[in-house]
Amino acid sequence: MIEVKELTKKFGRKTVLNGVSFTAEKGQITCLIGINGVGKTTIMNAIMALTPINGGEILINGEKIHKHSYEKITFIPDAITMLPQMKISETMQFMADFYDCWNQKRADEILQFFKLREDNRLSELSKGNTAKVNLMLGLAMDVDFLLMDEPFSGIDIFSREQIADVFSSHLVEDRGVLITTHEINDIEHLIDKAVLLNNGIVSKEFNTEEIRENEGKSVVDMMREVYQG
Amino acid sequence: MNRYFKLVNFEFNRFLKIYLVLIGITIISQIIGVIVKSNQYLNMANDQIQGGSMSSSEFINQYGPISLYEIIQTLWFLGPIALCIVSLIIYVFFIWYRDWLGKNTFVYRLFMLPTARINIYFAKATTVFLMVLGLIALQLLLLPVEAWILQWIVPFDFRIDMSIREITGIFHYFAILFPNTIVQFIIHYGIGFMAVFVVFTAILFERSYRWKGILFGIIYGVLALLLFFAPVLLQATILYEFFYPIELLVLQMITGLTVIAGSIWMSNYLLNKKIRIW
Repeated sequence: MIEVKELTKKFGRKTVLNGVSFTAEKGQITCLIGINGVGKTTIMNAIMALTPINGGEILINGEKIHKHSYEKITFIPDAITMLPQMKISETMQFMADFYDCWNQKRADEILQFFKLREDNRLSELSKGNTAKVNLMLGLAMDVDFLLMDEPFSGIDIFSREQIADVFSSHLVEDRGVLITTHEINDIEHLIDKAVLLNNGIVSKEFNTEEIRENEGKSVVDMMREVYQG
Repeated sequence: MNRYFKLVNFEFNRFLKIYLVLIGITIISQIIGVIVKSNQYLNMANDQIQGGSMSSSEFINQYGPISLYEIIQTLWFLGPIALCIVSLIIYVFFIWYRDWLGKNTFVYRLFMLPTARINIYFAKATTVFLMVLGLIALQLLLLPVEAWILQWIVPFDFRIDMSIREITGIFHYFAILFPNTIVQFIIHYGIGFMAVFVVFTAILFERSYRWKGILFGIIYGVLALLLFFAPVLLQATILYEFFYPIELLVLQMITGLTVIAGSIWMSNYLLNKKIRIW
């Protein structure tokens, strides 16, 4: 389980996150929702120890993040994390060299699913295909948790559909997924839990199925309540 | 440890093309320099001797024989050395900043590797050291080749053959690059590598605190400099001629090692607690 407890983050004098707390569990898709600049990416970076925090605590399976945690949790940012001159095959070799949890079989399967060729260079790929490679680099790791930051950002509808399909496939099942997205419609039906951020705090944290069954509301309805009053 | 070596290999390969270009420029420029200067000298000798204005011995008496001493003062020889030095100084900064630049932010991947982050620091430092030592080794290998080319072009009577030790001892800057003793080597390159550690730490200050970090980095650099030169400064001011040269050397080595250890400790702290990927 990922536990974010009373997370506080300031940029200069501005407090972006003011005591944010939530959990993301294994086997569930948790979606962090909020308008631009609310601090979604900052939370992701803080979980991965990629930015210092001003207060609070973050635990992965009950432990603070350390070097071995990166074999248990991975982050897929909205930009690809490999060098543009690398071929897809080279990115996979890099991952295989450094990560014990790298699963080449799964990587090949994802490449086939996305119809990508190993000898393509990242610099030659379209934005959609770059996003798919980025996703492949994260999904092909045998980790407990996947963090994804805006995986649908700026890509065409067909690529979005393909990526959304991944969420309902065996490639994700049994893992914990924490995702931030604006394109909530693409994956609303797949989300188990939503965390709505507003003004640096968690405004609402709910189980999407419960809210659907008990109150007859969708995630978008809940977003309207929070962000439009 | 295994991942550290993989990181060194990866970093080295990332700069390999530019490095090979530098090696190529150095080899071509210096060899062309030897050929051009030798031929210029011979043409001058031929003009004077065949023109009948003087004999071979008179020419040698008047103009002197040619040696590598004349050649290593030319732009053909010094130009590529200066180019390599400037390139490696830029590379000390570039090796960090390139990971943050562009839309493909490789720094995410580096900092999410399942290895201690200080290994990234060590790998980058090792790559810089390997590149520096590689170019020095290249130069040491090139000098005998250049001496051989000179011997091949210029007849014996018109040249002076010099040993590598003689060549590297001619100029002060050459003595810095090519120390004559192991102690000098440790001092010269120890100071150079210490400077790399200090600059790396200053860069990490900037990457952690951005604008404020530039100030912190400069302050850190000045403090490191003061600490390193503390024995010399004390000797020159308060404790006038207090230390024997060997004592001064030992003290300088201790302060140097302290600066290196301090830089590594501070960098480890910044990498683990303060660094920001954007």
